[in-house]
Amino acid sequence: MNEYLIPVLLIVLAPVIGGLVYGFDRIVKARMQRRIGPPLLQPFYDFLKLADKRQMMVHSTHAFLGIMHFVSLWFALAVLLLGGDLILVIFLHLLSTSLLILAGYSTRSVFSHLGANRMAISVLAYEPVLIIIAVSIFMINGSFDTSVVFASDQPLLYKMPLAFIALLLILPIKLKKSPFDVAEAHQEITGGVEIEYSGLFFEAVYTAKWLDYIFCYTLVFLFAGSNILLGIGLVVFTFFYLAALDNSTARVNYKQMLRFSLGVAFTLAFINLLINSLI
Amino acid sequence: MNFYLSGLYFLPLLIGGILLIAPAAISRIIVILSSILLSALALYVFIHVNEPLYFTVPHYVNEIVAGADILMLLYFGWVAIQKKSWLVGVMSIVQLAGLLYLLKNLPAGESMPFMVDKLSTFMFLLINIISGIIAIFTLRYIEEENCSAFRKKFFLALLFFFIGAMNLVVSADNLEYFFLFFELTTLASFLFIGFRKDEVSVKNALTALWMNQVGGIAILAAIFFIAYNGYGEITFSNLLAHANAEGILLPLALLSIAALIKGAQLPFSKWLLGAMVAPTPVSALLHSSTMVKIAPFIILRLSPALKDTPVAMVIIGLTGFVFIASAISALSQDNFKRILAHSTIALLALMIMMGAVGTPVTVVASLVLVLFHGISKCMLFLNAGVLERVFHLKQSSDMDRLGESGPFTALVMTIGFMSLLLPPFGAFIGKWLSIETLGALATDKRLLGALVIVAVAGGGAVLSLLYFKVMGLLINRSGEKDHIKFEKTGPYYAGTIYILLGLVLATMAGLPLLLTYYFAPVASATIGQPVPVLTEGWNLFIGTMRIPLLPMLIAFFLLPVTVVVAMFIRFRQVDRAKEYMCGEKVNYAFSSFYFSTDRAIPYFSAAGILFFIALIMVALI
Repeated sequence: MNEYLIPVLLIVLAPVIGGLVYGFDRIVKARMQRRIGPPLLQPFYDFLKLADKRQMMVHSTHAFLGIMHFVSLWFALAVLLLGGDLILVIFLHLLSTSLLILAGYSTRSVFSHLGANRMAISVLAYEPVLIIIAVSIFMINGSFDTSVVFASDQPLLYKMPLAFIALLLILPIKLKKSPFDVAEAHQEITGGVEIEYSGLFFEAVYTAKWLDYIFCYTLVFLFAGSNILLGIGLVVFTFFYLAALDNSTARVNYKQMLRFSLGVAFTLAFINLLINSLI
Repeated sequence: MNFYLSGLYFLPLLIGGILLIAPAAISRIIVILSSILLSALALYVFIHVNEPLYFTVPHYVNEIVAGADILMLLYFGWVAIQKKSWLVGVMSIVQLAGLLYLLKNLPAGESMPFMVDKLSTFMFLLINIISGIIAIFTLRYIEEENCSAFRKKFFLALLFFFIGAMNLVVSADNLEYFFLFFELTTLASFLFIGFRKDEVSVKNALTALWMNQVGGIAILAAIFFIAYNGYGEITFSNLLAHANAEGILLPLALLSIAALIKGAQLPFSKWLLGAMVAPTPVSALLHSSTMVKIAPFIILRLSPALKDTPVAMVIIGLTGFVFIASAISALSQDNFKRILAHSTIALLALMIMMGAVGTPVTVVASLVLVLFHGISKCMLFLNAGVLERVFHLKQSSDMDRLGESGPFTALVMTIGFMSLLLPPFGAFIGKWLSIETLGALATDKRLLGALVIVAVAGGGAVLSLLYFKVMGLLINRSGEKDHIKFEKTGPYYAGTIYILLGLVLATMAGLPLLLTYYFAPVASATIGQPVPVLTEGWNLFIGTMRIPLLPMLIAFFLLPVTVVVAMFIRFRQVDRAKEYMCGEKVNYAFSSFYFSTDRAIPYFSAAGILFFIALIMVALI
């Protein structure tokens, strides 16, 4: 029973932990800019404020898809943490992102459409890299199950360092961090898909982002296997790396993003796969 | 059993003959009744044929077949002269010379020209059910076609002749017979594509003709080498019996080339894309659901001999490449039917690849894909027909607001696209099986495996982008149009689409059962080894591979159900907001975006040619 305790706790508390991570992220980013930044619990204050707002929507299809985006992302996270099949996890994550893309397309809003288009391109940019990483893991472990990865005492990091670098390169796309935040791009397309959400329905999209943090950091944690200390180290490193990157870079356009991700990250992951399959 | 089988062969021909002369009112009844009858026959045969069934024909049939071959090639030659197409002419002359040489020099052995096994009956079921549905759809579609009354009858009759030819092609064991039936489907393809008689149609029909004739030449060459190598009888079963004989690779490679051309793999993909100018039922029947499935059929037939040979490796490499290349090419398309055609090529590549890998799991995956793709693509194409006839839409970028004017069509198309892509629909499971098993293949052929997985994964991501792009148009509507009223499209259109929708949903719900009782027996008969499929608790085992069912089930509620519910759910008591327009008052045309991937297509073709050369080279060495 004990082996399930931590994953289940993590799953249940994922939105809370994700919110804390997001709050801390904002503080760290602010400190890097020599600001004080919001309080740690600011995401939760936002959450409460949003819940209190008057409910508005463009139409029900759009609102419902936003909620289901959150639900399906939570489910993908649960499968990942419970040691499920990595390919399945990646497809479930694709599914939840697709629901948000569909939501963007479902309205007749310019910015929503632009955001959805860009989000689809982002998926195209990171999805192949993720699958190659999954296949590399399969090459090493002989199984796609993440439970095998969590249990293995030989960290993947040492066997596939290039794949880890590739993951680091695509994480900003997935988490919509600068320089790859074209899908959201507040100054440009006012938040993209998010723009038409408000109140309770925005809550779903907003908290889904917190879940995405947990999802991505779990992927990072995978590289440490059963070595918890190394895992925490990797997560902390990735956290500061993302914050620093977000602060220090300007947004590129979607073509540059696609070129970079398929040209550099994909190539790195692919070379890694070749090495793993030849040795 | 022979009685029922001959029903499958002769009934379509008979009905086709009647349809040529019967008045419209009667032909309607005939078409509906015969569609039901043929489906029932196919089902009966599927249930009752468990062991391969060989049967012979009277001796004079050999002469008839030879005569029909020559007649058909003379017709092709006549077409070449009439349309001044030197390519068709050259191909016809080569074929005719080859055929005459073979007829003169081949030993007239007492071989069994026909063999019906589990794989054949599997194909019967697909062919007859899908064709029947399309024939009923055609009754209405062809009425609105702008052509003479006789040509309308001719179209329907040709449809049934084609069904007969398809039933024959999957039962032929003798390669000479197989050549005739293969070329007959080419002929049907040529006549159908050129049906509208305009300039583009004729040009594309000729392209389809000469490309498929190359396939015919490959079959003739394969026959020659089988005889030359002294294997004895010119049959599939004899070829498989010599699986380890010297020189086997060349005939295998040649037959595979015929398959790859029929399956429109690069660089021969042009004919299938051109075929989209044909009336929509043709695209549904010939160019997505049945005729192009000859490609995976041939590869599956040969898979016991192909498995682990260098030829199979080249085929796997080629199809992996085609999968991603055609997915990328599809991104630049706007015409709805061409989008479907590109994705057909991509999925055919996947089926052929799975057949060439030839392990129990991949053969099951290939069969699953053949069936599910047949049903889903048929449904999508028939909807393309409805769009064309009822809504007058051909370009996907015009389809926004279809959710307002045609919610039912939009709904069915959304389900169709999801069934091609996502869990737990069959094509998805097939795709997932592919990825997993190629991972397994990679342990001994690691590099190839790795490359192929990259192609499959990358292509899968591109295809999902493509499908979501189209689905986004279907789900789009403004906030004011909340009321839903299903459009009326008439009994023929609505009826056939309801049947297909039912088939999609039923096959999906029954997949664990179908795997055990439908796909596994066919697969084990095809590769000649048992394919154990077990359900234990929430897990499904195919061979050594485990598929967890519970996440699949939940995923099903998350995606297809969510999207369908999203289209119809209405929250009451929530205030409405207009879309944010940044204070602008411009009318924005909502359509879709494209990638200009056209530039890459010559390179894709060149790479395809290299693969074909490699295919011959590895067989020669």
